[in-house]
Amino acid sequence: MTHAINNTPLDAHYWSAQMSAVSAQRDRASFMRIYDHFAPLLKRYLRNLGVPDPEADELVQEALLTLWRKAGMFDPTRASLSTWLFRVARNLYIDHVRREPHWLPVQEGLDRLDHAESVRIDSQPESSLDQDLLLQAIDRLPAIQAKLVRMCYLESKSHSEISSELDMPLGSVKSSLRRAFAKLQRSMRAPR
Amino acid sequence: MKPTHHLDDATVLSYSSGALPGALAVVASAHLERCATCRDRLLDADRIGGLLLQQQRVEPPTEEARSAMLARLDSEPVIAPEQVGDMVEDHDPDRLPHALHPWFGHSMRALRWRRVAPGVQRIRATGIGGGDLMLLRIAPGSKLPLHSHGGSELTMILDGAYDDMLGHFGPGDVADLDGEILHQPVTSPGVPCICVAATDAPLKFSGWVARALQPLFGF
Repeated sequence: MTHAINNTPLDAHYWSAQMSAVSAQRDRASFMRIYDHFAPLLKRYLRNLGVPDPEADELVQEALLTLWRKAGMFDPTRASLSTWLFRVARNLYIDHVRREPHWLPVQEGLDRLDHAESVRIDSQPESSLDQDLLLQAIDRLPAIQAKLVRMCYLESKSHSEISSELDMPLGSVKSSLRRAFAKLQRSMRAPR
Repeated sequence: MKPTHHLDDATVLSYSSGALPGALAVVASAHLERCATCRDRLLDADRIGGLLLQQQRVEPPTEEARSAMLARLDSEPVIAPEQVGDMVEDHDPDRLPHALHPWFGHSMRALRWRRVAPGVQRIRATGIGGGDLMLLRIAPGSKLPLHSHGGSELTMILDGAYDDMLGHFGPGDVADLDGEILHQPVTSPGVPCICVAATDAPLKFSGWVARALQPLFGF
């Protein structure tokens, strides 16, 4: 099967090349290309989570500085840049906003385990094709499952918070999220 | 040994989105340290987050924000790309998972247990936000009364083992149970079963421990 790799900003290969330039040559132009695309996205994400404006700006800078420092840890065979930055921003949110001081060191430990693993096993790179399939799968989710997935990720609501907000039994919240996750995972494992 | 009982899909999603209450997240992290399968599932979940991040509609950054970023970059010391540390997975059976260190220390042997009933000892974590976290040490060959759990609860075996209708649970395994599931764990003979348990509802949890143990141990 053939497919065209497009050059939209969603293209994982494009971002992976920018990251190599940041990591190997400390290239500021590449860094700013990443910044221009991702900083507004990260800020919108943090604002939606209820982080006040000045603090959100601060956390966005923090996330991008983490990228500048740790670009060498980025492994395009393991995750796309948007996935990687999502992790960085979520971790900073939990550390700064939810004030859980033990979260960051634990996540760094898990990252090192992941890194050791991807060296050991033959991982599939996350390509733009995978992202398109996942995107289609998200769009095809039944309305309630899509709503729960968004409340989970974009509002960072716990199962019990979702349950009381939607007046939906906790068991139903969990089973809907399970069904949604199973579908989305299948789309990521789709045969090529 | 590789764990055979894993985190529930709904728990993985909640962890990935940063919404899992604190105490449950500690136990989930402890399992993730020992379970490559769940780390892969977490990465799948993080991909959903990455994609939703990308999908948002936004305006380009302002010139002011761009120059502020470049100024921060200038003040960053020039350092070599970060070296990747060695595999941190360790196999010392006395060593608790890293995620538990802030709450219970490093060493299983050094734990200071408090007896709460014949054959049952406990240590409660203090100062954890978002739920309740405790270690339990249950004598070998104990049969716990039939019980179910209210709310969300996550238990990971650190040493020893137990069996219930869902199977055999050994070190590294997690029981990520729905509130409705009724079960009756029986700890294996030989060594005590040591586990870490978390819930998002502190009072309820103390409740189930008390309720579960009461008929057996009479307290």
